[in-house]
Amino acid sequence: MPVHFSRRAFALLAGVSLALAACTQAEPQEILVMEWDGYQDPAFFADFQTANPNVPVTFEYGVSDADILGKMEAGSQADVFHFYSGWQQFYVDQGLVREIDTTKLTNWDKVPDSFKEQGQIDGKQFFLPWDWGFSSILYNTDEIPEVTSWDALLNPDYAGHVSMWNDGPAAVTVAAYIHGWDETAITDEQLAQAEAEWIAQKPLNTFYWSSEYTDLCPGIMDGTIWVAYAWPGCYATALYEGTPVAYANPVEGRNSWIGFYGISADTDSYELALAFLDAKLADVTMANVVNLFYYGAANQDVMDAIEDPILIEAFGIDDPSILETTNFTPPVTDAQRTAWTAMWARVQAE
Amino acid sequence: MLGRRGTLPFLVGPPLLWLAALFVAPLFLIVLFSLRPESGMVAPGRPWDPSLAQYIQVLKTPSFLRLLGTSTLIALGVAAMATLLAYPLAYFLAFRARARATLYLTLLLVPFAASYLLRIMSWKLMLGPAGVINSLLSSAGLISEPLDLIFTRPAVVITLVYVWIPFAALPILAAMQRIQPSQLEAAADLGAGPWARLWRVTVPLSLPGALAAFFMVFIPTVGEYVTPTLIGGTGGIMYGNLISDFFGRGGNWPFGAALAMLMLLLTVVLVVAAARAVNLRRLIS
Repeated sequence: MPVHFSRRAFALLAGVSLALAACTQAEPQEILVMEWDGYQDPAFFADFQTANPNVPVTFEYGVSDADILGKMEAGSQADVFHFYSGWQQFYVDQGLVREIDTTKLTNWDKVPDSFKEQGQIDGKQFFLPWDWGFSSILYNTDEIPEVTSWDALLNPDYAGHVSMWNDGPAAVTVAAYIHGWDETAITDEQLAQAEAEWIAQKPLNTFYWSSEYTDLCPGIMDGTIWVAYAWPGCYATALYEGTPVAYANPVEGRNSWIGFYGISADTDSYELALAFLDAKLADVTMANVVNLFYYGAANQDVMDAIEDPILIEAFGIDDPSILETTNFTPPVTDAQRTAWTAMWARVQAE
Repeated sequence: MLGRRGTLPFLVGPPLLWLAALFVAPLFLIVLFSLRPESGMVAPGRPWDPSLAQYIQVLKTPSFLRLLGTSTLIALGVAAMATLLAYPLAYFLAFRARARATLYLTLLLVPFAASYLLRIMSWKLMLGPAGVINSLLSSAGLISEPLDLIFTRPAVVITLVYVWIPFAALPILAAMQRIQPSQLEAAADLGAGPWARLWRVTVPLSLPGALAAFFMVFIPTVGEYVTPTLIGGTGGIMYGNLISDFFGRGGNWPFGAALAMLMLLLTVVLVVAAARAVNLRRLIS
């Protein structure tokens, strides 16, 4: 028997259907971020919270670039993800990232072109540059003379007072700088040599540091660590605390890295993710990155406004030649990353 | 009223489901990961042929096997020390504390109220160059330079023993509380002195508890990685750190899974061998 709807019931059904359809088409009003521990501090998305006080921002965490890529690849529901130089190509090759519509970013003009280019693959802007910094040797000027080379990390005179970052690719990078190898074309023989040298270096370390602020900085500031692979954050922190430290300009050049945000290919909240990334580049948030974490910001207005002499020194702003001698982190292949990580595991196991 | 058959599913079902979902299934996944031939990340849906390549790679790396051996020895040492130190504690609670036993037992469990990480970090302060131990020795004039106590393998052992003693005391205490006073009285009536009663009555009857304590400490300690990370330094790294690194920092789940499965296999073999050697079934019965 056919069912007959009254006009009122039909209108009600149609209204409910339209409302349901609207609900299903609207973007979810929440953002899930794949982040590094520490960046969940509201200071690092302050502008977004101010503009969107009712949008919840939640986090998943990764402990390394490999871990973050692995979690995104394994199906994380994160809308945006944060990673560092050298890993861009993986996300594009595996279809994990969506191109950024920069015309919708109100703060995009504040980002220098050189940074923008670092986030492009085949001319498309897949990634938004956000934070940046150097890697170099941080050393205690009361305990040791001026450091002019990365090989200070392997100097037996500093036995018991060295701290290398607990990271295989970084260990290979340092070996490549010291020996003048092409970092992107490390041979098996070179890798074996690097492994032998890091095994010999192992007893010099007090510990390998994993966390800049909870492992390395306390060791630098209490005088246990005299020489360390370090980022500017710990350098500035130690200077503020009055620790006699310097940040080396090795003859081989410092290393430099950029942090990027990407929008997940699977996100249902593309527009909101764009708004989130745009706010990430806004002045208050970027100033917090500089003033609270002592990392460089992709927002040039914020960098130009720095007056603190400690931060000027930490970022090398007063040294116009600093970028000419800096080694930017190159992309690595999956096979290289796996081999370098395995090499470092063997060093640790010895 | 339900009979034995009627109540069994209600008693056993929930924990079985819990274990199946949160232990057996993840373990099965780890086995699957370990049989993937490729290195690197594991994406769902990626085709693969089961392979022993990861296991072969682990077995071909002597430093990994040596570290597994060292970690096993550390776990045996920690388990033995924690059990030996917990034994008199449990004995005191069972036979000497009397009315205050509940109070002392509560005090024994107080450390559990603090976070595991906090307890480890407190040892970092204790063993550091300017820590309590070095400061005491220095102010007593016994040392002129701080001793290297932290970031060493002994620091890891000391901390782990400290962490496990209260845990180890509980099964020993439970075993001792099952000893009937009449058994000790009978031994005394037959001429056994205090030491003879301890060695020939108390120790044998509490041995199942001591063995349970030993295994309870040994099994998780083999794969320990938090304590070595925080206070072990470069020389105090354990096998668990390798597993953690391959799953986390290295993003190489198949290799990490193979490392984990080999450790699990070794632990099971050792526990079964030890149980057979001491004839555990007879002891428990």
